[in-house]
Amino acid sequence: MLKLEHIYKWVSSGGRRIFLLNDLNLEVREGEFLSIMGPSGSGKSTLLNVIAMLDDFQEGKYYFEEEAIHELKVKKRTEIFNQNIGFIFQAYHLLDDLTVYENIETPLLYKKVKSSERKALVADILDRFNIVGKKDLFPHQLSGGQQQLVGIARALIIKPKLILADEPTGNLNSKQSDEIMQLFHDLNKEGVTIIQATHSESNVTYGSRTIHLLDGSIQKS
Amino acid sequence: MLKNFIKISWRRIKADKTFSFINILGLSIGLTITMLLFLFVIKERSFDQMYTNKERIYRVLFNTDEHRNNEIWATVPAALKPAVDQGVPEVQKSARLWDHDFGKTASIQVDNKNFTESKLYYADPEFFEIFQLDFVYGNAKDQLDRPNTVVISESTSLKYFGDINPIGKTISIDNDSKMEITGVYEDFPANSSLDGTIIGSFKSIGFYKEPSWSNASFETYFLLNKDARADAVISKMQKLVDANVEKEDQWYTLNLQPLENMHLYSSNIKSAYTSKVGSIEEVRNFSLLAVMILLIACINYMNLATARSQKSTKDVGINKTLGASSNVLIARFFTETAFVTLLAIIVALLFTFLSLPFFEKIIGSSLSLNYMLSYRFLLAILAIWLLTTLIAGSFPALHLSRFSPMEVMRSGRDRESFTAFLRKGLVIVQFSASVILIIATVVIYNQLEFIRNKNLGYNAENTMAISIRAIKSNSEKETLIKQFENLPEVSSVTMAQGYPGISVSGRSLYKNMNSDESISLKTNRAQGGIVETLQLNLLAGKDLPGQKQESDSIVDVLLNKNAVDFLGINPQEAIGKNIIANLGPNAYVIGVVDDFNFSSLRSPIGAYAFNNGFEPLRYMLVRFNSSELPQTLEKFKGTFGKVAPTVAFDYTFLDAHVEKMYAGERRTARAALTFAGLAIFIACLGLFGLAAFMAEQRTKEIGVRKVLGASVSNITGLLSKDFIKLVMIALVIAFPLAYWMARRWLQEFAYRIDIGWQVFAIAGTTAILIALVTVSFQAIKAAISNPINSLKNE
Repeated sequence: MLKLEHIYKWVSSGGRRIFLLNDLNLEVREGEFLSIMGPSGSGKSTLLNVIAMLDDFQEGKYYFEEEAIHELKVKKRTEIFNQNIGFIFQAYHLLDDLTVYENIETPLLYKKVKSSERKALVADILDRFNIVGKKDLFPHQLSGGQQQLVGIARALIIKPKLILADEPTGNLNSKQSDEIMQLFHDLNKEGVTIIQATHSESNVTYGSRTIHLLDGSIQKS
Repeated sequence: MLKNFIKISWRRIKADKTFSFINILGLSIGLTITMLLFLFVIKERSFDQMYTNKERIYRVLFNTDEHRNNEIWATVPAALKPAVDQGVPEVQKSARLWDHDFGKTASIQVDNKNFTESKLYYADPEFFEIFQLDFVYGNAKDQLDRPNTVVISESTSLKYFGDINPIGKTISIDNDSKMEITGVYEDFPANSSLDGTIIGSFKSIGFYKEPSWSNASFETYFLLNKDARADAVISKMQKLVDANVEKEDQWYTLNLQPLENMHLYSSNIKSAYTSKVGSIEEVRNFSLLAVMILLIACINYMNLATARSQKSTKDVGINKTLGASSNVLIARFFTETAFVTLLAIIVALLFTFLSLPFFEKIIGSSLSLNYMLSYRFLLAILAIWLLTTLIAGSFPALHLSRFSPMEVMRSGRDRESFTAFLRKGLVIVQFSASVILIIATVVIYNQLEFIRNKNLGYNAENTMAISIRAIKSNSEKETLIKQFENLPEVSSVTMAQGYPGISVSGRSLYKNMNSDESISLKTNRAQGGIVETLQLNLLAGKDLPGQKQESDSIVDVLLNKNAVDFLGINPQEAIGKNIIANLGPNAYVIGVVDDFNFSSLRSPIGAYAFNNGFEPLRYMLVRFNSSELPQTLEKFKGTFGKVAPTVAFDYTFLDAHVEKMYAGERRTARAALTFAGLAIFIACLGLFGLAAFMAEQRTKEIGVRKVLGASVSNITGLLSKDFIKLVMIALVIAFPLAYWMARRWLQEFAYRIDIGWQVFAIAGTTAILIALVTVSFQAIKAAISNPINSLKNE
């Protein structure tokens, strides 16, 4: 599905280069559930952002479904991202001023989906996640686990091929974590490719493959 | 999508009520001022637009030569009209106007009731063909054709006769001429420069039969042919002057002024009949002020909007990862601004409506609410809405939507030093403006107090001038004086041509018989008792004698100190001296009084002479000693009515007249005070926004400092210090500017205050105190917050 070849990313500090990603090679096949582990600062988030095309890199090649991302203009990249990828944050990042329903609906608005179709899609997903009763609440009225559930529902509404999750359970207790992970597991079974960055050994057990990052390079795969 | 945007905007407004309140209030106040100023501008620009032939109507102007300081007059010789009718075919119609008795108030008698009219004109019949006024009674044709006929305005008709048709009735003017009413016209609109309440036929006055080329006392209007050119008419008028006036007597040239320029471009034109003279500078300044205030309000909006940018930037980031393009976000921010602006406009319309009477008082002119419904105003509001949205929305829209999602998500600080600079700059500008306005207010008030308390050299209190112009016989005047002298409330009484503050005759005082050296001398015919009545300070000699025979060719003169100084002698030496001042060959000094302010304190005191010469005595001056003013007035009126039953009792208090001379300054002071208050308020909103922004930015720092043991006052001081620095910079900018401006304003007064350091101390302290209060609100809020809350966010 996607392939990274010799990716280098650095920032300059005091004339010296600090490598965030250092000669990183990675291939992810469709239907995989990949877990990225590593200590703080090892480059997990940076890698996810690069894969999401939200962040640039200085050297290397990136192919997403045969498309050479490193050769594309920003606009085209954004388009590919918007069509294919759902992003889930550790801090949920729900829009505070919108209700649960509206939060989930927002990506569809940006994709200019028709109103009737939007209603059907949102109703489906609310139903599936069992949060129909919460649809008119605002994020601050929900628990952390519920907020993350909404975050995932929002990421899934555009039916992405790939889900990127940056420490999705980092702010949750173990019971909530297990629920979210079970959900990921089920999604994966349905054919959605998932890449998660995590510290948690128990989360890793839900995945099909694990890589370890240290100082911007993969240790063992 | 739009619906969604508006929904979000509304929720954001509701979510932070204090913030939204401040934001909308600030914007509304700015918009209110802009709207009020626009109302004024619209009114000024609407002047004289109601006349059907407005593009073809011209007023003749009179350019005098250098001996008369190249003054431009609105009045021209009466002989011009008949000559133009004969010799200038381009002029389709022409009409002269004469202001009754050269601009004096007329006493009108109707069915034994007396009225005063200050807007009585005499006009040629063509007047109503040039200015096509509608008639309530009678018709516009053939009016003013016969001598001793008048037409009156609708409101005058109501005042005199009530609801009946007054055609055929007569009124008498100044006890002189009986005039028959032949028509009633609809009142001149409020925004017409011309504004007569009674218009008599020109044939009724002596100037009709013997029009001269030298007495330039008549406003004259032309209606030109459709394709006529004004400059052709001007050169033909010059030919007429050449044909009728000897070259050496031509102390003037003639010019034309389009009616449409009459209101705004006439502030330098003298002797115009209308009192409604606007100023194009004022209109331009007000327009500029309106735009500037709008701009400041917009920048304030941006300032407050970016104060919440941390939240907004996060929002932008999330939306971008959800698939929003920059364009969509730009549209969203603009929608939000448009929505907030619309709310502010609605509030501002309400404010405008409520504050209109107050604003009218400040600018001293009335604005009808009708202007608020005019299409110009509605168009202006639409333009203001779009403009404000565009300007105020540009910063959040373009600045924030540009961020890439990654930058945003890193819970970033505002890295843009430029915006920080902009915000600080704005606060400095706003505070400088506020300080300048505070200083202006203090200086103007001090100067006005100074004027009010200045010793004028005479006593204007408890003195009144009663018009006796309409009393024709001398014996009646003498009787009146006697009657008044016998009233217990009256301490002294006299008659004079004029009183301090109004114009009297202008002559020249020569140093001696053989000298060309002269100064301008104001002369005022008066009677004995003038020194006592005005309470002048007699330096030498004595008051004018009480009685004088008509046949007596000796003119007694009471000079002021300034005139004696010019002659180069001391007051005692002056007594008995023969003076050369066009007062006849036998003008002798009988007394000398100390200088007094016979005109406004703007000009230094010049030479002045009371005399018992030949001008008509127009006023009875009465000094009274009574605290029961209304009763005294009634008594005076009764006494006056018994002696002169056919003359209106028209009086002026001298002290009120003095006050009136400074009405313009008083208005400036009120405007300065109002704008100073508003400017400070808006500046405080800006400061409040900045303080909120800084406090938000430094939340973490404050948290860390508190964990390390900083007290609330430490933190408050830390945060306030930065702002006080900004205000200090503002003071440094404002002080010299304000000093320079105040000096310039005071230059207009011959008698003025010094600008002391106290003024600056007051303004500076006020600004700093207000800033401190505003900032400390935010600073204390930040300082007392629990550090745990601010630190766990990481």
